[in-house]
Amino acid sequence: MTEQKRARLKADKLDTGFGSFRNIEVTIGKVIDDDWDEPMGPTPMPDVTTLRSWDHKLLTRYRPAYMPACQLCCLCTFGKCDLTSGKRGACGLDIEGQSARIVLAAANIGCAAHLAHSRHMVDYMIHEFGPRFELSQGDGVEIEAPVSRLVTGIRPRTLEDASAILDYCETQLTHTLSAVATGQEGSWIDFESKAFHVGMIDQVGMEIADLAQISTLGFPQSDPDAPLIEAGISSMDPKKAMILAIGHNVVPATYIMDYASETGVSDNIDIAGICCTAWDISRYDAKTKIVGPISWQLRFVRAGFADVVVVDEQCIRTDILEHAKKVNSPVIATCDKSTMGLPDRTDDDVDDIVKDLVSGKTPGVYIRDHEKIGEVVVKTAIKMHPKRKKKGSLPSKAKMQELAQACRQCSECVRSCPNDQPVMDAVLAAAEGNFEPLADVYDECIGCARCESACPNEYDLHSWMVKAAEGRWKQESFMVRSGRGAIKDTEIRTVGQPIVFGEIPGVIAHVGCANYPDGGRAIHDHAEEFAKRRFIVVFSGCAAMTVGAIKDEEGKSIYERRPGTFDAGSVLNVGSCVANSHIAGAAIKIANIFAKRNLRGNYEEIADYIHNRVGAVGISWGAMSQKAASIAAGFWRLGVPVIVGPHGTKYRRMLLGRADKPEDWMVWDARTGDRVQVAAGPEHLFYAVENLEELMVMTAKLAIRPNDTAKGRAIKLSHYIDLHETYKGYFPDDVHTYIRRETDIPITIKDKIKAQMKENKWQEKPIPDPTLVRRLVYGGNGGGK
Amino acid sequence: MMREEPWQTAEVCGPTKAQGIKKPAVVGALLKKAKHPLLVVGSQALTENTGKKSMIDYFIEFSTAAKIPIVATANTITAFKEKGFDNAYSYGAMEITGRLQDHDWMVASKKGPHDLVMTYGFPYYMEWLMLSALINFSPHIKTVSLGRYYQPHATWSFPNLKKQNWNDALKEILTLSGGSK
Repeated sequence: MTEQKRARLKADKLDTGFGSFRNIEVTIGKVIDDDWDEPMGPTPMPDVTTLRSWDHKLLTRYRPAYMPACQLCCLCTFGKCDLTSGKRGACGLDIEGQSARIVLAAANIGCAAHLAHSRHMVDYMIHEFGPRFELSQGDGVEIEAPVSRLVTGIRPRTLEDASAILDYCETQLTHTLSAVATGQEGSWIDFESKAFHVGMIDQVGMEIADLAQISTLGFPQSDPDAPLIEAGISSMDPKKAMILAIGHNVVPATYIMDYASETGVSDNIDIAGICCTAWDISRYDAKTKIVGPISWQLRFVRAGFADVVVVDEQCIRTDILEHAKKVNSPVIATCDKSTMGLPDRTDDDVDDIVKDLVSGKTPGVYIRDHEKIGEVVVKTAIKMHPKRKKKGSLPSKAKMQELAQACRQCSECVRSCPNDQPVMDAVLAAAEGNFEPLADVYDECIGCARCESACPNEYDLHSWMVKAAEGRWKQESFMVRSGRGAIKDTEIRTVGQPIVFGEIPGVIAHVGCANYPDGGRAIHDHAEEFAKRRFIVVFSGCAAMTVGAIKDEEGKSIYERRPGTFDAGSVLNVGSCVANSHIAGAAIKIANIFAKRNLRGNYEEIADYIHNRVGAVGISWGAMSQKAASIAAGFWRLGVPVIVGPHGTKYRRMLLGRADKPEDWMVWDARTGDRVQVAAGPEHLFYAVENLEELMVMTAKLAIRPNDTAKGRAIKLSHYIDLHETYKGYFPDDVHTYIRRETDIPITIKDKIKAQMKENKWQEKPIPDPTLVRRLVYGGNGGGK
Repeated sequence: MMREEPWQTAEVCGPTKAQGIKKPAVVGALLKKAKHPLLVVGSQALTENTGKKSMIDYFIEFSTAAKIPIVATANTITAFKEKGFDNAYSYGAMEITGRLQDHDWMVASKKGPHDLVMTYGFPYYMEWLMLSALINFSPHIKTVSLGRYYQPHATWSFPNLKKQNWNDALKEILTLSGGSK
């Protein structure tokens, strides 16, 4: 399994008996990476069942609680099958198995999206820079790909290594995908284990994608001072031609930026992004702008800003072409995964394509050639700009008022709104000339436009909201920090000990999409609360944009107020979705750098270390996609708890611990081999909260770990108690369960806690060196009590 | 609008769907029959009311009259504590959904199981899924959704009701349970 690296000979000129060759490169099979002196661990390149026993340990403690969205299975022609009341389908699967199968299906889809992105990135970079191009995360990062090292046992140092790692990932994804087929896996716990597996593979794929683009495209390399970027709709300059890039894959957009720069027109155009492409164009060129998260696509396009819309892959509104047509914005599809039904014009002359787009002969084109994309987009934008004059499709208020008077009051708009927004009441207010309620709905709107699909009068309700809130979004400008990439080894050296001991009470990772139940303010308030409490707060993806939109009294965003280092009280942005891997990587590096645990092919030990010692909590307040599901699955396998907002219940399965069952919280004491009961920490592995108040309390609670030192436990408890009293209004009744010795008691609330301990007949408990893996007991297989 | 169809239009379920509560007496009969009923109250109770009564006051009265414990999810517990009500227990919505699947579990460490669970106060889609968990994995429990909108995964649910009709129904349930009008 270690023979993954091809040896290559490269020669500028080679004379042989049968000819003379120039610029040749020859592959001679595979050799071992034999200059890495770290010993290989027990599980390099694990297959689908290699880590099954670890998964089963977690899944026994954190038993899945299913909430099926459907009681039927309709995936094969045996069915539909009715799975109610204990019935099994024709294939033999029951509702529990089917529910677990859906979990695996979602994780597979999410992993595939990231992995295909990663494969495109690496193949493209090899084509451009050659297979031996060296990978780097920058100064201060020697462990440049901790997830890949941990999982595969390979230290990727070149693009060729990255490609070999992706070969492994693709094989694993094929296997986990196949397990979903009818007549394969039948056990809920093994569906779940496979979901964990593909989540782990997803983290590797994301890490490789970001490593490849950071190394080749000049992105910030582990830079805590990554540049601040202008964001928000009003940061766009209406005098300039405007190019909007939507999606996740930055490569096509780099050609646009390069062409604009090479032809000297950069000052005449604004290039802005939505969703993760926005982050990555800002990492490529800090002068680009960020419109906002995925949910702002429709409002921005309809407001007519974009002279050209460029789509790459993932998180694109699949009907973007229809909306762009209404405002005369040509659409350029650049990725084979989302060609939008557009004609492939790759082989056509640039000027012919531009002419057809500008004249409106075609509303959009698909182009595979990156260089051609750059030229077509820039030329089209410059020609479209004077022609369009920011043509929007927003109605006038007078027109809205007139139309609103014919509202049928059927409530279909409300019934279709994911967040039950009072759309109909707002329309009725507009009929009276009051547009404020519609503007208020805009503030909470996630931009799905289901309301207008449902409206029998075919009102463009989303446009109405945008128009009503025009005065608000015209002021919408804020600063966000571009993605810094990985966490430096040197930063880990500084914070590793205080995190493991609990003195830095936790690492909070706000990840992902913008399907918020109540607008984006919640994640800002949460981040500020925990940063004040000296947690390390990390952001990525769309959440990293939204958090910047809330400004303080001085007009500063959280990124301007707080440092971007990986340290207590900091708020940092690692970057786009694929940069999520750096968050897992930081936890892994803590085990390696601070605790000196070997990484190489040593997944179970490192996951066990993180689960028991690193108080990390992942949060995806607006989780929407299958990608968010696979990202979460990767964290679950590392033993890191994940909290989602209320819409996260639609993932249809929680992983819940039972604090009331002491037998569920047994660990091995690695020092003695004894079985020891610990407190329920982290209590859950996957949990959907109902609202921000519950999120505040749950976050603090899930940061508790068995290995906390007395000082660390006291600090964590003081935060938990304080937040519980603030948001639940009373002193929590389970504090005594977290006290092992009296030294764990936070000094300022000693009396209350001691009273509770007395009431519950508290007894001192040992503080073990905790592990869930018996073979990790020092000196062998345990043998203690 | 007395229709037994999902309030959020896409939230259709499988072969079984809730029976509509056409008369509040149905709830009275279920209460009479239940040995260990439970009220699960979500955070929307903090801001909603029925008639002139806050939902928190309503449930305190209901719980007291019918001697039913309350599980208050998220921060809902604050309102019960502030009013000095001591038969409310704090669990997360997902926690209580998980616990109720355990046949041996009952709130306040008493011997279980609960056999009747009445829910109120959650985002529609969230309650929909909580009730799905119970209908599929807690066959020993009958569920009643007390909200204004039809919840197909409950055993019993109001159809989509106008506010006044719903107020009247809740008032009658309170009377049937021995509480004031």
